[in-house]
Amino acid sequence: MNMSDAGGKAYEDVEFGEELPEHIPDVSMSAVKRFGEATGMTFWRFTDHEKARAAGLPGAMVQGIMSQGILVSMIHRWAPNAVVHRIDTIFRAPVIVDSRPVCRGVVTDLNDEARSLEIDLTLCNEAGETRVLGTASVELPA
Amino acid sequence: MDIAALNEKYVGLEFDEVHFDIETEPMVEFAEACGETLPKFTDPSDPDFQAVPSYTARFHGGRALPEGFPIVQEKNFDGGKTVEWKAPIRAGDRLTGRSHIHDIFEKTGRSGGMMFIVHRMEFTNQNDELIAIVDWKMIQKLG
Amino acid sequence: MILDLHSHSIVSDDSRAKVENYCQWIRKKAIPVDGFVLTEHRLYDDVSDYSALGRESGLLILKASEVETDYGHVLVFGVTDALRRTFDFGEIGLPLEKVVHESARHGAIAVPCHPGRTKVGMCAHIETRGEPEGVQVIETLNGGSRGNENDEALALAERKGYHRIGGSDSHIVSHIGRCATRFEDEIHDMDELVAALGAGRCEAIRLEDGAWISLP
Repeated sequence: MNMSDAGGKAYEDVEFGEELPEHIPDVSMSAVKRFGEATGMTFWRFTDHEKARAAGLPGAMVQGIMSQGILVSMIHRWAPNAVVHRIDTIFRAPVIVDSRPVCRGVVTDLNDEARSLEIDLTLCNEAGETRVLGTASVELPA
Repeated sequence: MDIAALNEKYVGLEFDEVHFDIETEPMVEFAEACGETLPKFTDPSDPDFQAVPSYTARFHGGRALPEGFPIVQEKNFDGGKTVEWKAPIRAGDRLTGRSHIHDIFEKTGRSGGMMFIVHRMEFTNQNDELIAIVDWKMIQKLG
Repeated sequence: MILDLHSHSIVSDDSRAKVENYCQWIRKKAIPVDGFVLTEHRLYDDVSDYSALGRESGLLILKASEVETDYGHVLVFGVTDALRRTFDFGEIGLPLEKVVHESARHGAIAVPCHPGRTKVGMCAHIETRGEPEGVQVIETLNGGSRGNENDEALALAERKGYHRIGGSDSHIVSHIGRCATRFEDEIHDMDELVAALGAGRCEAIRLEDGAWISLP
């Protein structure tokens, strides 16, 4: 049985430049509050649009590490057998709660010896502006 | 802000150690809120049940910076996180997180002058096995 | 001749892109550029040698810097050892006029980048500091711009008659070549690039659906 049959992804089947399926994550207030409860990050800037706007923000913001977790989940959606060895994210600008961001990923490096690959990751808002930028190092086991 | 002096004084200095008991429910909630669907992250009955790879990004030490570090909390924001995953975290694990300042530098961006403080936290489990390294870029607005 | 004049490699603190992968990406995705310039943040990379990689990939790879001044960020093309002795590339509040003047004195050219950007763009500082002297060229198309930042840059260029360039400002591999600069001449090295910029024999362009779009 090969990896594809098992619902995984074989390293040999991955090409440089391959795009991961786009993903529209759930960043609704309920999802953000749920994440906040799990992590203790329930401050008003994450959970209260009005207070956030009063403080000069465009609205309540998705926790940076939730955005990071969303990007990791996109990798697992593409390759359920992927082992994410490193995830590096730069929080360039807020992702707004209840907005409709898009996650994208693309393979930008392959290391045959380690069976590992680098993936460029972006989380963009509706205007196409990159709000979270990152890379991941991923291994696809034999 | 004298960045060179701060580097000299604080970079490499281990200033905090804290313990975390890993519980099932937050592991599942974290994973599901991020959209994970794989049973090994969402189903505690899965034989390979474990935390998502970025899970340690949620942990903070007893203090974010060494005592006496000149910082104004109101001018502080999160610039990003890097998680280097080394081994799975299982429910029931007891983690130890040790913090040191890895780097300090300054640059300008849309928020004006900024000092970047890279806070590194290394996590080991109850078997003293290194399970993750998390770099947290704290940004302090200058001026 | 089309060059992406603004890109960062892992030499910059906030970039994750390896130069080899930029080349691979350009070829794989058939990005219609002839090369790119690495403009590392607050430093000049005098260690890396990309000439062999450039030959192998058929791309011109040049090195420059992005420094930080009292008028925002500025690309410096034509960096020499002598120029590097005149100011500290690592400082974050360099006087723009000094950077412009010293660059010109040493055969280089200083180009304010993303001028429409808050705090780190030239437009934001003109009201308080006045019009800087000596600027000839600005970046009117930056691949990392948000909202109307590029429009503001273009308006400034039109008002002042500045020459215009474009660059992707890529920090990850897949962002290379989003914006670029088209030159009337063939460019083979940094001296020719500096000359073409100074003469304004160039235009800013952006990639849309695989084709270059010129700005007015």
